[in-house]
Amino acid sequence: MKTFDYIKANSLDEAGAILAASANGAIHSGGTDLMGCLRDRIWMEDVDVVVSVASIEELKHIRKDGDALKIGAMTTLADIAASALVKESCRMLAQAAQATASPQLRNVGTIAGNICQENRCWYYRYSYRIGGIIECIRKGGKKCLAVGGDHRYHSIFGAVNRCVAVNPSDTAPALVAADATIATTKRNISAREFFTGENGKSSTVLEKGEIVKEISVPLSGDGVRSAFKKVALRKSIDFAIISCAAQIALSGGRVENATICLGGVHVNPRPMDEAAGVLKGEALSDELIECAANVALEGAKPLKGNRYKVQIAKAIILDTLSDCIL
Amino acid sequence: MSANEKVLSLTVNGEPKKLLVKPHWMLSRVLREELHHTGTKEACGEGACGACTVLIGDKAVLSCMTLALEAEGKCVETIEGLMSGKNPHPIQEAWLEEFGAQCGFCSPGMIMSAKALLLRNPNPTVGEVREAMAGNICVCSNYEHIEAAVLSAARKMRGEGA
Repeated sequence: MKTFDYIKANSLDEAGAILAASANGAIHSGGTDLMGCLRDRIWMEDVDVVVSVASIEELKHIRKDGDALKIGAMTTLADIAASALVKESCRMLAQAAQATASPQLRNVGTIAGNICQENRCWYYRYSYRIGGIIECIRKGGKKCLAVGGDHRYHSIFGAVNRCVAVNPSDTAPALVAADATIATTKRNISAREFFTGENGKSSTVLEKGEIVKEISVPLSGDGVRSAFKKVALRKSIDFAIISCAAQIALSGGRVENATICLGGVHVNPRPMDEAAGVLKGEALSDELIECAANVALEGAKPLKGNRYKVQIAKAIILDTLSDCIL
Repeated sequence: MSANEKVLSLTVNGEPKKLLVKPHWMLSRVLREELHHTGTKEACGEGACGACTVLIGDKAVLSCMTLALEAEGKCVETIEGLMSGKNPHPIQEAWLEEFGAQCGFCSPGMIMSAKALLLRNPNPTVGEVREAMAGNICVCSNYEHIEAAVLSAARKMRGEGA
């Protein structure tokens, strides 16, 4: 690993100013993704300064505030998974946090870090130590190596700026399905707008020096049920091949509102609005759920080596929606 | 003191330590190479195997994924901190009795994960043991014995004998 300067910031404003003034600074919350990126030196330019915000206590909170659940950026995934408040008001987010990584990583990994993490494409992350860095399309190179190479875990909904690496976050689909808002040091961004593969090295719309401050999840009313499911090689410790978060609001036995978001299928978390639309106004049945799952995958454009993911995506939608009804 | 070295003060197994570290040094490196606590193992170096698990406070964390400087002012406990005098910790006793170790390389990390679990949950179910140990890999696949050892340790620590 290349050495760097290390600064412990006392506030996000201080951290933002250091990052903005640095040549190629990186922010450290739990550090579980950052350490891997630094160790493998996956970026074209080495990080010159690491700004740690991990010890800022006022960013570690979970509380009800008016009609929203507010979660501080540095709240760990373990705390979110164990929170009675999160389980009660946004079950799919607690389930997604619990499904992420291992106990040791959830103890330090934060919600902000989870949604800002780098993708896991093995070409993008090819280690410096084993002959990297690979200058793929996302790093300013000429082509995406995954399209012609091994893309078994890559996008089944096409590329963004010719990159087919998927967003690996488990909490991201839950936040999109919950219609959460992400407050940064500069603005409020809806979860749908937050994720983008169009920003070069980052998977988010965050600008240089901009830092996630708080996540705000609208509190769901009575009759709202949500669920998160994940398919991975090994239980939680692996990244999702596909994940699914869904929320259904029932009224008088019929679906008043529904949101479905898939993770691991596209460069960004993929809201399935047409599929959710199929459910609206209807009484839930196995046939209806199956119809929604088919609609969700109608526009899929799998690559040669990941057609199997289409079947998994359909199955996980069925599984997640069924879990919402129980 | 070279250009970017910093002073790190932390407590390791109850003893205050103060040393110079480079910002990119991991806690595992400081424990093993600077403080000579080689009980903590480093295997994958990328957070996937759990061999380097130590406690910071009462939480199990991966020392290979933790910058040493992030442990500033914190209490770190390693496998070396478990013995009291010449007496093994109940988890270590259970490990011996239930054959928790085959090659033994994963045992320090496994035992620290078990300790973190038993600190917060003295009476875990089999499912809770499996969940708590899910971040630790045993390449010998000795999982049945490890599970039995953690459950036995829990009984010992509750004063119920093995």
